[in-house]
Amino acid sequence: MDDNKKAAAKLILTRFMAYVFVFFFCALCIFFFYLLFISASKTNFQLQGKFSFLPGSNFITNFKNAIDDTMINIPVGMMNSFIVASISAILTTYFSALTAYATYVYDFKLKKYVTTFIIAVMMIPPQVSAAGFVQLAFKYNLTNKLWMLIVPSIAAPAVYFYMKQYLEATLQIEMVEAARIDGSSEFAIFNRIVLPIMKPAVAVQMIFSFVASWNNFFMPGLLLTKAEKKTVPIMISQLRSADFAKFDLGKMYMLILLAILPVMVVYLFLSKFIIKGVTSGSVKG
Amino acid sequence: MAKVQLKNIKKVYPLRDDQKKNKKSDTSQKKSNLEITKDGVVAVQEFSIDIKDKEFIVLVGPSGCGKSTTLRMIAGLEDITDGELYIDDVLVNSVEPKDRDIAMVFQSYALYPHMSVYDNIAYSLKLKHLPKDEIDRKVKEAAEILDITDYLNRKPKNLSGGQRQRVAIGRAIVRNPKVLLMDEPLSNLDAKLRNQMRAEIIKLRKKIDTTFVYVTHDQIEAMTLGDRIVVMKDGYIQQIGTPQEVFNHPANLFVAGFIGTPRMNIFEGQLIKEGNTYSVLVDGHKVELSEDKAQRMLSHNVESQDVYVGVRPEHLYSLLNSEDGIACKVDVCELMGSDIHVHATEPTGKDTIVIVPTHGKDITFESGSIMHVTFSGNIVHVFSKENRKNLEY
Repeated sequence: MDDNKKAAAKLILTRFMAYVFVFFFCALCIFFFYLLFISASKTNFQLQGKFSFLPGSNFITNFKNAIDDTMINIPVGMMNSFIVASISAILTTYFSALTAYATYVYDFKLKKYVTTFIIAVMMIPPQVSAAGFVQLAFKYNLTNKLWMLIVPSIAAPAVYFYMKQYLEATLQIEMVEAARIDGSSEFAIFNRIVLPIMKPAVAVQMIFSFVASWNNFFMPGLLLTKAEKKTVPIMISQLRSADFAKFDLGKMYMLILLAILPVMVVYLFLSKFIIKGVTSGSVKG
Repeated sequence: MAKVQLKNIKKVYPLRDDQKKNKKSDTSQKKSNLEITKDGVVAVQEFSIDIKDKEFIVLVGPSGCGKSTTLRMIAGLEDITDGELYIDDVLVNSVEPKDRDIAMVFQSYALYPHMSVYDNIAYSLKLKHLPKDEIDRKVKEAAEILDITDYLNRKPKNLSGGQRQRVAIGRAIVRNPKVLLMDEPLSNLDAKLRNQMRAEIIKLRKKIDTTFVYVTHDQIEAMTLGDRIVVMKDGYIQQIGTPQEVFNHPANLFVAGFIGTPRMNIFEGQLIKEGNTYSVLVDGHKVELSEDKAQRMLSHNVESQDVYVGVRPEHLYSLLNSEDGIACKVDVCELMGSDIHVHATEPTGKDTIVIVPTHGKDITFESGSIMHVTFSGNIVHVFSKENRKNLEY
């Protein structure tokens, strides 16, 4: 009986320790969001003064200031960012999956070299290829066009690599063959059989591509000059470098808060697709 | 419902670049006995058979013998290197799988994991743009035949192995294909379920009128299911025949050893021709061959020579109180119920199995003791030592 009690006490203790541990790391993660949230609710004066963990009362004012700013148009910026990020996320994942599927399922000459080439592209830093790309854009008058940000991002070697790995782990060639015998066209096999199987991988890569594109500062900074075409990161930096007298840190934080909201929404929406074992049950094993 | 003709089909897998380089040094350590030419590895060659309408053909052989490759060529999943394939007298060598009107059941089931059982079965019909009510009727009909009506709304992952296999078969039969191809459909199931599904396939065959081509490495499946069996080895057909023919009249040493469990005992011996009679001599023990066997050998002008003598374990019998016969040293005795399997070593050192019926008596063979076995002249198979072919044919 005594032993039983001891064991029970030990169990409770280990659990307690585990929870403390988990709670600590949770708090660590959430802390920065909290910091951002309270900072967005303070006035510029409060922010430059003594630090406090309590939220301020200026949240709505800051929000209004951010929305109504004369120099930058935040709603338009968010719209631009959203268009670029969502379209490029969709196209990047779709075409990367398509390429991965092709190099995995089909046998063709130089297949090995194609894969190596795509991976090699990954080694080239974007800054290197950007120089030529920007020159091209200026020469043919293609600046200030959102699709100029979308199209190049479709070719994403890292996404391709991830998709290929995922396919190798989950897709049975026999499933493709079964679909072929069932009468599917090759394109229908990809769209109706393979893509649904790849849902978790697509969801993960969509989140990554969306966030990367949303936060992208480099290319938009080079290509977008007109106010109505600018994306959120450009606008935030523009505000920071603005006249010091007009600088409002509260508004700044509010902007950052607004900027991460869509990312959070996209994450919450897509994460439900990241479920394990989507393919389990298709084939034995 | 169709006849299928294969004429001199050949399949060569080109060597990969890295294999080409190693070709010369690699020959000593190659895994199979497949022929390697300058074009590549020959997986199947000289494959010819006329499959009749509604016939059940079983391709059987050890792994790597080309049986699955042959099936995949019929399906259109592999290109045919050489030869002609006809389905209903139409040359289909370069016809896409979907236009051949065939269906296939895969070893791994290959169900679409994101679709329900119903959608899995209905998929091919949907692609044909059939009206919805007709699809529904056909799917339910197929489900009825296979007894999976209760699971139509489930996803494959919620089914057991046997149920998944039924769904895979359902997906194949729902289209009413001309030819139904099955690639080792039962090998993923456990032994009990396999026996059950085997019986179901026999029943299924009565319900749906179509031509079957079935691949297996399991000779029991081959014997029980097939109208005709095609025994293959190293890309070549060894024998085509009914299960009885293949079992009772194996064309060569390989077929003799492959078909039948426990496998046939092979002794080294001599064939002796005396006038119009033949007899075999094994370990100094002489057995005269039956008249019909002698007749057949006579018609082929078979002379006296060194031979392999094949006798099935159930056809060997022990001479309990005699010194005559082949002396074998008993290793292990297995009581199987109605009979005893005696594992013994024959004089040249090869393992031999003798099946001794007990007839309800307590018979035991002590390990290490010598038993004398013999056989009668009508059930013995004599194979040429030179080319390993059955000397009767």
